[in-house]
Amino acid sequence: MELSRLLVNYPYFISMILFCLGCLAILTQHNLIKKVIGINIMETGIFLFFIAVGNIQGGVAPIYDPALPEGVLYINPLPSVLVLTGIVVSFSVTAFALAIIVKLYYFYGTIYAPEIIRLR
Amino acid sequence: MQYLEMLPFLLILLPLCICFVMPMFARWKSEVCPYLALGATVLALIMSVMLTVQVAGGELLSYAAGGWLPPWGIEIFIDELAAMMLLLLCGTCLFVLLFSYRSLPKEIPPPAAGWYYTLFVLTLAAMMGMTVTNDLFNLYVMVEIVAIGSCGLVVAKGERLSTEASLRYLMLSTLGSGFLLFAIAFLYQVTGNLNYPYVATELLRVGEDYPFLMWATMSFFTVGLGVKAALFPMHIWLPDAHSSAPSPSSAVLSGLVVKVYIVAQLRIYFEVFGFDVFHETYMRYLILFLAALAMLGGSLFAFVQLDLKRRLAYSTVAQIGYIFLGFGLGTVWGIKIALLHIIIHAFMKICLFLSAGAVYYQTGRKKVTHFSGLGYQMPVTMAAFTIASLSMVGIPLFGGFITKYGLALGSLEADNPYFVVLIVLSGLLNAAYYFPIIWQAYFTSGAEMKFFMDKVPVTMLIPIAIMALGVIYMGIFPGSILEFLERYVLRYLL
Repeated sequence: MELSRLLVNYPYFISMILFCLGCLAILTQHNLIKKVIGINIMETGIFLFFIAVGNIQGGVAPIYDPALPEGVLYINPLPSVLVLTGIVVSFSVTAFALAIIVKLYYFYGTIYAPEIIRLR
Repeated sequence: MQYLEMLPFLLILLPLCICFVMPMFARWKSEVCPYLALGATVLALIMSVMLTVQVAGGELLSYAAGGWLPPWGIEIFIDELAAMMLLLLCGTCLFVLLFSYRSLPKEIPPPAAGWYYTLFVLTLAAMMGMTVTNDLFNLYVMVEIVAIGSCGLVVAKGERLSTEASLRYLMLSTLGSGFLLFAIAFLYQVTGNLNYPYVATELLRVGEDYPFLMWATMSFFTVGLGVKAALFPMHIWLPDAHSSAPSPSSAVLSGLVVKVYIVAQLRIYFEVFGFDVFHETYMRYLILFLAALAMLGGSLFAFVQLDLKRRLAYSTVAQIGYIFLGFGLGTVWGIKIALLHIIIHAFMKICLFLSAGAVYYQTGRKKVTHFSGLGYQMPVTMAAFTIASLSMVGIPLFGGFITKYGLALGSLEADNPYFVVLIVLSGLLNAAYYFPIIWQAYFTSGAEMKFFMDKVPVTMLIPIAIMALGVIYMGIFPGSILEFLERYVLRYLL
């Protein structure tokens, strides 16, 4: 029974794995661009989790349509809206981080973190 | 009187609108920007005074944005803690802005000045938003704005070190935001709400069924906001970022930005989860342990630094430990004293960082070993520096004494006498790294015993003096603020 519950809820696991991978990339990668990619992977994992929370199997998009049969299930729109905001936030963080990395490249001529620490 | 009801909303909206138009001025008429920023801060200060008067009258203000009532819409809620934080944020930011008007041209490249003021007001508005919001997702958005704004304040200096430090700050605070957002997702999954009181009532009903999830959520919140609040093992970004930033931004970052994260953490622990969960998930012991490490570790690291601003930055790590110690004690008294310490430490640290900025402005000195004779060359600045340092060490009559004494009493009350030893030890370490600077400034042999007036603009001296007076005022009359805070603490902790 436990295993079947795990199988049904697989999106949660994938989101957790993505989150951990992203964290690992931020903390362990030496290339600064890869760190930024890690941020994006991490946030993608969280967004997947939000979407999975809001989703219903067999549900339709929450737009009222008279052509649909009675008793059809609509998915929860709120998590999708939150994800939309989250994407904007993660986009701006990514842009800002990349801008700083460009500036660091002008200063040090490299984007490899240990090299930057050595040159400091 | 419809506008008066909208006051909590306007408080955040108006500074944000001013930030929105400020880049235009920064591009073409950058000499207007300081006045715009000052205007926005004064406006926010007037509004927060009006709100605080209402709250002090015993009325809690709630505003539903856009007319959507709480379970659906975003609620802005102002209680005693929020009112006090609003006053602190606006009041101190006003003086820091006044200071930066003359000190900035020496610290950052002139074209960046307009952008600097934009980021300053943006950070202030988002910090106010964080303290007054009653909605978890809105909290996340405000946290991200503060993170980007404060990184911008560090990177504005345009030097190698500050650029590198701000990248590290941005990476780690994004990691923290990720944990925060995941914790919010967990809470939303379990309760289906984002509004604090609704989540809290729902958690009381279903929380017991998910003990593991509660534990996970609690630790995600602790890590997420702890990274940003520089709780001890997660403080590694702080010394670089705070010491390489321009002095007005170091003052704001060290005095205010880390504090609003602590306030947000306190709200989540006590308003959303409730004290019982805080206790049952062992989060309390973890926080006590980390706070003890911070008090000792931060002071020890500060002791070995030679750069004045780095020393001050590590001292912030230790002081954050005091605040968390108060929370960890978990008694009404402990939390009250921790909240008081947030105010007092803001005054002390802003005073110290601004004095460091003034010393750099006049003499260009940065190292703690180069302070000889400064007590005679810059009497006002060094007097303020001395007051704030004495307060840090915990000498009676100054603000720091009240909180040290209060925390010691609180830990005895909570049957944790070991913390008294830690507090005394940390106070001694504080003395060991602040007193040599003061000693050097006043009593080095060879210095001529002749006073000169500081050669620093008066707009830079006034903020320093007012912060020092604030420290003394807090040390002598802490009673009314404690009473005001007690009303907040008692509402959630009984």
